[in-house]
Amino acid sequence: MSHRMIFTAAVIICLAAVGLVVPGRGSRGILEAQRPTATADATQRAVAAAEAFLATLDSAKRAKANIDLDAKTRTVWSNLPTGVAMQVGATERNGLKLGDMTPAQEKAALALVASTLSTEGFRKAMAIVDADQLLETRSAPTRSATTRTRFGRAEYYVAILGKPSATDRWMIQFGGHHLAINVTLAARQTVLTPTHTGTQPASYTMDGKTIRPLGSENDKAFGLINALSAEQQKQAILGFEVRNLVLGPGSDGKTIAPEGIRASAFTPAQRTMLLDLAHEWVAILGDEAATAKMNEIRAGIADTYFAWAGPTTNGKGAYFRIQGPAVLIEYAPQGAGDTNIDHIHTIYRDPTNDYADKLVRR
Amino acid sequence: MKAIAAGALAAVLALPAPCLAHRLDEYLQVTRIALARDRIDIEIDATPGALMAGDIMSWLDLDADGHISPREAEAYGQAVLRDAQLDLDGVPLLLTLTRVEVPSVGEMRDGVGTIQIRAAGQIAPIAAGRRSVVFVNNHHPEGSVYLANALVSADPGIDVVAQTRDVRQRQIRVDYEVRKAGGSALAWSLVAAGMLTTLVVFRSRGGRQ
Repeated sequence: MSHRMIFTAAVIICLAAVGLVVPGRGSRGILEAQRPTATADATQRAVAAAEAFLATLDSAKRAKANIDLDAKTRTVWSNLPTGVAMQVGATERNGLKLGDMTPAQEKAALALVASTLSTEGFRKAMAIVDADQLLETRSAPTRSATTRTRFGRAEYYVAILGKPSATDRWMIQFGGHHLAINVTLAARQTVLTPTHTGTQPASYTMDGKTIRPLGSENDKAFGLINALSAEQQKQAILGFEVRNLVLGPGSDGKTIAPEGIRASAFTPAQRTMLLDLAHEWVAILGDEAATAKMNEIRAGIADTYFAWAGPTTNGKGAYFRIQGPAVLIEYAPQGAGDTNIDHIHTIYRDPTNDYADKLVRR
Repeated sequence: MKAIAAGALAAVLALPAPCLAHRLDEYLQVTRIALARDRIDIEIDATPGALMAGDIMSWLDLDADGHISPREAEAYGQAVLRDAQLDLDGVPLLLTLTRVEVPSVGEMRDGVGTIQIRAAGQIAPIAAGRRSVVFVNNHHPEGSVYLANALVSADPGIDVVAQTRDVRQRQIRVDYEVRKAGGSALAWSLVAAGMLTTLVVFRSRGGRQ
């Protein structure tokens, strides 16, 4: 018997002895209580929304929209526009694109997407879509006739991976250029990682209002770096350029060695600012799931690092990274110099629980 | 001067759509270093911008037939490795190409194709202690943008202690600590023994009540 097996057996026996785990009851007790959970209602709502969406489709479209969930299909997402092979090699996103849906189908598809997201999270996702529509409008007149690359709202795909279920794991994907929302539902838990957000342009006007899809992320980060003392900044600011995401799309399962300043060296106010910054990604998900995830990040705050590369004056482009035991967030302006503030890529991962793998392992 | 500027603008406007959204004139080279006791794996993901595609194609498409054959892809992977240098504790290591994948020509012309190169530096199993790896990427430094990072090792007995880079990340030095192999097994045994002792104590107290 290996040492690991002996240890595991000992842990189970001890926990059973003190009543934290009751064998034969599905290992409920403290392990269950620690799980970040969404309510059964939230899962049921998502299942109902998925079934409602699928009911609007004919069999051919349903077969495209609802595919198997496996280790390969779940990784088919990207920052790239339609028509380009993704980092994992696939040439088309999973699911059915909005441009191939009737208005009723699109309404049901977006209701499905909204069913697991917060109001603000759904608004953010659609603001990214609107930015890409603007990019499409600007670029279409000069586009080469031979290029297969396409931007715009019609090129955003909605997919259901696996069978919508209140008990088994399944996924909802919503993605296109600069957006890959990956929501995994596993029994009572809803997991958002890995998810990619990005935008170009980073600021635009719609109906007389200025829209900045990732503006809060940018502003809160500059607020935090400027709230650090000179000594803290010295630890946080990396002495080199970081011109892109390190663990962007296609980098599942990798963990980089952390760098920057450890939040154990932060004041309580600075920690609050760091958590508030992470919340911008976490809170794309609905309230209860986001609260549970924030509790998990808060629990690991002392072992969480904040790294920065670039100027500290808001209005300039700067890279930053938050890396803790259960979170990795990167924000990377694209390009160099003063021209890089209009094109942003970000990634949100959980090195321990992407695609809800931790839960399934249990 | 005005004519040059107008020409440049026209050239940009004539570019395919993705160029408006992605790097034009940069060659992004991303390196990840994976540390183990008996090998050092190097992953390089290289993405040429649309304006670099012509140059990259000329390096890749050696017979200029408009297609990248497996042999041409391998030759390019070897060329990249010849331009790279990997040292362990100051001793140069031989890098062996393990895999290379190239995107389609069209994707590279659009500035969105990534060339994936994987290589390994074989080493004799190293003893416990502080080690240092230096990786330098000299592949077409003009116009290139670099990212270089050490991955958290799959071996729990290896910890990255520090990473030092030049400002462009063309060069990275990774200091890491290798603990004695088998140390973790001993630790597991001690923890297991401790837990069993806790159980025995708990039960004996329960029996007295």
